[in-house]
Amino acid sequence: MLPTIHIGPFVLPTAALVYLIGAWLALWAVDRGARRAGLNPDSVYALAITGLLAGVVGARLTFVLLHWSAFQENLLGIIWPLNTGYSAPGGLLIGATAAFFYGRARRLELWPTLDALAPGLLVALMAVSLADFLSGAGYGEVTRLPWGVSQYGVRRHPVQLYELLVGAAALVVWCWASAPDRRGFPGRPFLLATAVYGAGRLFVDAYRGNAWLVGGGLHGVQLVALGVTLLSLVLLARRSLRAEPIS
Amino acid sequence: MQRERLEWVALILLTALVGGGWIYLSRDAEAARQPVTLEEAPYVGHTAPDFTLTTLQGETIALADLRGRPVVLNFWATWCPPCRIEMPYFQRAGEKYADRVAILGVNQAETADIVADFAYKNNLTYPLLLDEDLTVNHRYAVLNLPTTIFIDAEGVVREVIVGTINQGVLEDRIEKLLDS
Repeated sequence: MLPTIHIGPFVLPTAALVYLIGAWLALWAVDRGARRAGLNPDSVYALAITGLLAGVVGARLTFVLLHWSAFQENLLGIIWPLNTGYSAPGGLLIGATAAFFYGRARRLELWPTLDALAPGLLVALMAVSLADFLSGAGYGEVTRLPWGVSQYGVRRHPVQLYELLVGAAALVVWCWASAPDRRGFPGRPFLLATAVYGAGRLFVDAYRGNAWLVGGGLHGVQLVALGVTLLSLVLLARRSLRAEPIS
Repeated sequence: MQRERLEWVALILLTALVGGGWIYLSRDAEAARQPVTLEEAPYVGHTAPDFTLTTLQGETIALADLRGRPVVLNFWATWCPPCRIEMPYFQRAGEKYADRVAILGVNQAETADIVADFAYKNNLTYPLLLDEDLTVNHRYAVLNLPTTIFIDAEGVVREVIVGTINQGVLEDRIEKLLDS
């Protein structure tokens, strides 16, 4: 774990640094993805920026609304401090909604745009996993396996690094599927990468030590991942069966 | 086309079956949700190291005596600007969750006079513990200020937050401790 970095008198949180660098790399990946998909990179880049900013602001506002009783007597707390206090589900929902409506306003086609966004989304997810590893969030179960890492005084599965590998695998699949001679129908690279990522997260979350549990002790993330994987496969099937070969 | 359709259906059903089976196999049994070790250590999942410190009023507080209700330990100092930002939030939380949660401020290496003057000027009435020789700060491996440690009613560390904590996060974490 490396939750902070000391540079002279300054103490910098590593997770925040990773998020910043990850956002920059993700936007670069979106630009590359747009060019590979044959789209206008400026439009897709602007859509990604819109989604990112809306997501961050939305995550903060959602958290504030959910805990309004704590903020109503000190409204300054809404904008400071910024190191904690975000709702990931709220941010994802608001960010995705903003990006969707921006795309509609700019008349961007859905499936080619998703193909272009896929590498950026995967890079962002990998950055979150790396930030979690450095900060100690989302730690794994205790293990004696030789690749276990020391976190919180015991050797644990490096679940965050497993997630990183899953993201990398999905990125490789996207690169393979988006090659000009293998692209197939619009949306195929995005759906293949999503299915691989979902299946990977379904597998590795079993080793999380502080998993979000739902009824019966089931891992909530695994249920979501299975749903995403199955939905991706269903959409792949439908689009594959209806697709005309691209000349 | 029909063959391809059947292949897709088989793949989807197989994924659902294998995925569902894996989810069931990897579910957390109740016993497995207990901390793996009860060794004292200032780390998540471990028993919080015991200590005994004195408040400004001369009252002795031992962590072990607080077993049975959640405890929030906030390590701070008067010279730490981020600490000063968040201390009113702990004051408010101490009033809101009185008797249900123990909110304790553990000072880092300052004298009673300095701490008392700061508490008076900032209307802080929740217990501020003096740790002039840094025994408890070292025991909890506090490297940066502020550091806030959330301990459940069974004395197990549930979360450590380094850096300023806003009032929403503080109350969110306290509510989680009360729910667990």
